[in-house]
Amino acid sequence: MRLIGLSIAGVLLAGIAAVIYVLHLDHLVTHQFEGRRWTLPAQVYAAPLELYPGLALGGAELERELRRLQYRRSTELNRSGTYRRAGDRFDISLRPAQFAGESRPAQFLSITADASTVSSLRDARGHELPIMRFEPLLIGSIFPIHGEDRIVVAPSEVPALLPAALKAVEDRNYDTHHGIDPLAILRALWVDARAGQIEQGGSTLTQQLVKSYFLDPRRTAGRKIREAIMAMALESHFSKADLMNAYINEIHLGQDGNRAIHGFGLASEFYFGKPLAELDTGEIATLVAIVRGPSYYDPRRHADRAQKRRNLVLKLMAEQRIITPDEAQRDTARPLGVTSRASGAYYPAYLDLVRRTLRRDYREQDLTEAGLRVFTNLDPRVQERAEQTLQHELARLERAHRRKDQTLEGAVVVTAPQSGDVIAVVGGRDPGYDGFDRALDAHRQIGSLVKPFIYLAALESGRYTPASIIDDSPVAVEIARGKYWQPENFTHQSYGPVPLVRALAESLNLATVNLGMSLGLPAVAGSLKRFGLEENPPQNPALLLGAVSLTPLEVAALYTGLANGGFRTTLRAVRAVISAQGKPLRAFPVEVQPVAHADAVYEVDSMLEQVMQHGTGRPALAVLPPGITVAGKSGTSSDLRDSWFAGFTGGGLAVVWVGYDDNAVSGFTGSSGALPVWAHLMAGLPAVSWNAPLPESLEQVTIDYPTGLRAQAGCSDDLVSIAVPAGSDPPLKPGCPQSAALPGGATAQAAPGAVQTLIDRAGKWFHGLTH
Amino acid sequence: MPVAAVCAAALFFGITIAGCESESPTQAAPPPPATAPAAPSVAPGGATVNPAPAPQATPAPPAPPPKQFHLGAAASALATQARGEAAHGDLPQAQATIERALRIEPDNPLLWIELGQLHENAGEHAQADGMGRKALQLASGDPRAMASAWRLIAESLRARGRNEEAVEAEGRANALAAR
Repeated sequence: MRLIGLSIAGVLLAGIAAVIYVLHLDHLVTHQFEGRRWTLPAQVYAAPLELYPGLALGGAELERELRRLQYRRSTELNRSGTYRRAGDRFDISLRPAQFAGESRPAQFLSITADASTVSSLRDARGHELPIMRFEPLLIGSIFPIHGEDRIVVAPSEVPALLPAALKAVEDRNYDTHHGIDPLAILRALWVDARAGQIEQGGSTLTQQLVKSYFLDPRRTAGRKIREAIMAMALESHFSKADLMNAYINEIHLGQDGNRAIHGFGLASEFYFGKPLAELDTGEIATLVAIVRGPSYYDPRRHADRAQKRRNLVLKLMAEQRIITPDEAQRDTARPLGVTSRASGAYYPAYLDLVRRTLRRDYREQDLTEAGLRVFTNLDPRVQERAEQTLQHELARLERAHRRKDQTLEGAVVVTAPQSGDVIAVVGGRDPGYDGFDRALDAHRQIGSLVKPFIYLAALESGRYTPASIIDDSPVAVEIARGKYWQPENFTHQSYGPVPLVRALAESLNLATVNLGMSLGLPAVAGSLKRFGLEENPPQNPALLLGAVSLTPLEVAALYTGLANGGFRTTLRAVRAVISAQGKPLRAFPVEVQPVAHADAVYEVDSMLEQVMQHGTGRPALAVLPPGITVAGKSGTSSDLRDSWFAGFTGGGLAVVWVGYDDNAVSGFTGSSGALPVWAHLMAGLPAVSWNAPLPESLEQVTIDYPTGLRAQAGCSDDLVSIAVPAGSDPPLKPGCPQSAALPGGATAQAAPGAVQTLIDRAGKWFHGLTH
Repeated sequence: MPVAAVCAAALFFGITIAGCESESPTQAAPPPPATAPAAPSVAPGGATVNPAPAPQATPAPPAPPPKQFHLGAAASALATQARGEAAHGDLPQAQATIERALRIEPDNPLLWIELGQLHENAGEHAQADGMGRKALQLASGDPRAMASAWRLIAESLRARGRNEEAVEAEGRANALAAR
């Protein structure tokens, strides 16, 4: 009797424990489901393309931009997202668009664009429009907190064939079972045993969904029982439709570096470069095939296997009557049609910067808000040009200097100097790979890139002009008792007295160190900090030759200030963030702060122009369009480990770094490594000269480049035109006539007298001392 | 001896003060010759300047006529839209619209003045000042635009209680407007 009593008690206890356990699992899985169901990722957008008459965008490019936005060419314009082209005329049915500050309904737009320029824009009624922008390109769909991306698809965006195919292949009795399908399990065991391999799984879609929530590679019996219980729990709470939609958005379908591909929406873009709604039967079948094993059936790495399985899927679809046998046959014969990874709008290095901005500037609770829309300053054309140029040039450079164990790497950052917009970021040679982002994280010695900031400090002191003579002669700086630092020029020669402009153009180390020591290291450090250097640079003389490590983005921040006339301008990748409903949440406005004397910055820029005309930047001129004014500086770190170039035109600033990840000697100088990348990049952008207006207190003078003395054609064969303070009157080169290169020429007033000049000079000196 | 020392000191002091004053850029100076050796860019807006010949050392380039900035059609349409948005009280949106125009004409001082004015109206005086100074630099050669920039700077200084500097800025604006 007692035994029976004990057994009953034991069973009861076990029963209660089981019930509690089941309730626990129920809670766990429901919590997961609900949590994910209501969390929409943030949508991240590139800068919209602005169209206006006069824009340098030809018909071919315009069509590429329409394709980029996935507009289809068609003869009928009955659906938004289509366009019609007849020669120079484009008729477009624009989709409804959401911008940071407004939303715009679908509408008609007519554009006339010849080979090079947009000439007119008209609306549906034929009225001329002064400006119109396309909808912004979606470049990312990320959860700001953990950075995972998804393209969440609503049921209306899912082709009916997809759930049908999933059921046909993975879970025939989906519509009727309650979470697990014992018949399916048995059948699978039978089929697998006969085939000698796994052909059918016995898990229902619901079980697979549960499995994907709690990624655990262990396939123990205990795990399977847990999953079964949780699958049944889900089925008891949620509808079949909801569960199917969750499955479609959750299931793991690929891996690419750091990036996990979850959900059919993202997989569709990743493998086919198209939205899910636009996939055809064969493509849907391919994705369904991948479900069984995303790495085993990777359509790019294991195309044969993937194709075989896709054909099996097609066969099953035909058997289950969701497609006709003819369709199945036709699609079986076709290739997979998977794109190469580089296609599709995926810019992980730029997204990296966006994520960091959001995490830094957003409070934790704001980040969880669903469906944020993030508008960025990315320009996809510039981004692609930067990516392609880097890849192409690195390959070429490597052919000259191959290393067996390491690939030559690089990074590019492009900004619009006036506004501080970050328009492109390339983190490495393989732009689509989400790995180490060199543009944001590679700290490298900047070498000669530091020099313009030394020369700026010199000009601001009032003691120097670009024509002033400094001494490029051997220097020994005491860095410790009895220990001396004796730098050398790159050519191991010294050139004696040289004008400032030449010392900077040719990046003469000795002259620069002499100049820097006379200014004092605090002045140089101060110059860097004013322009945005956040950390305190090392206060030792090696700073004068760039013994400070910065990332390409930090260099871009410094040079943006030089390129825009001396304004510290916050670099911004994100422009604005709005809520899912369109409410503005946060704007990142343009911020400018004057941090340097406008005249001195103009003079530095004018000298940087000479770097290109006369100095280490000269090789770029062969690649750039003729006649446009460019300015820049090369940088080479000690022993030729890091190769840099930072330069600008009227169209933008670009910073390029080239080197090896393990900091090995690359053998490239700034001119031989980074410069070609920079030049080819700039050559592909609109050719706009740097043409800041000459400040009223400066004047252009022509000097003899080797000596810095005022000269003209006839008495010198190496002339350079530079900006100097008005009235600073560089001394005349012997043999040159008195009238040589006076400001304004022969019709101008006589040069200011000696006393006035003395007064000017003293005043500037005093001014420099006290500011 | 002390008299000589005092005279020397006074002379030195006088020279340096005179030197400081000569720093001022508002003295009438001949318009500077055009600098850019490149062909004039085909921008929709910006300054109308007769393209000067490339600088040669011997024959001096003729002094160009004073510049006058204007807004191109696209930037103008956006500026109009921005004014409407500002009139409706939506200053952040108006700022965003001017920023849109600045992407098309980043070097146009008139746009920087508009944007600066919006910041000034929003109480963001330091920003307005920075933009005024930016406009000033870009407007070099166009007295009207420079005067406008100085007025914006003056307004932002006055709003921050820096009245002496504000008066000085207004003085510069008036001197330029008279040119």
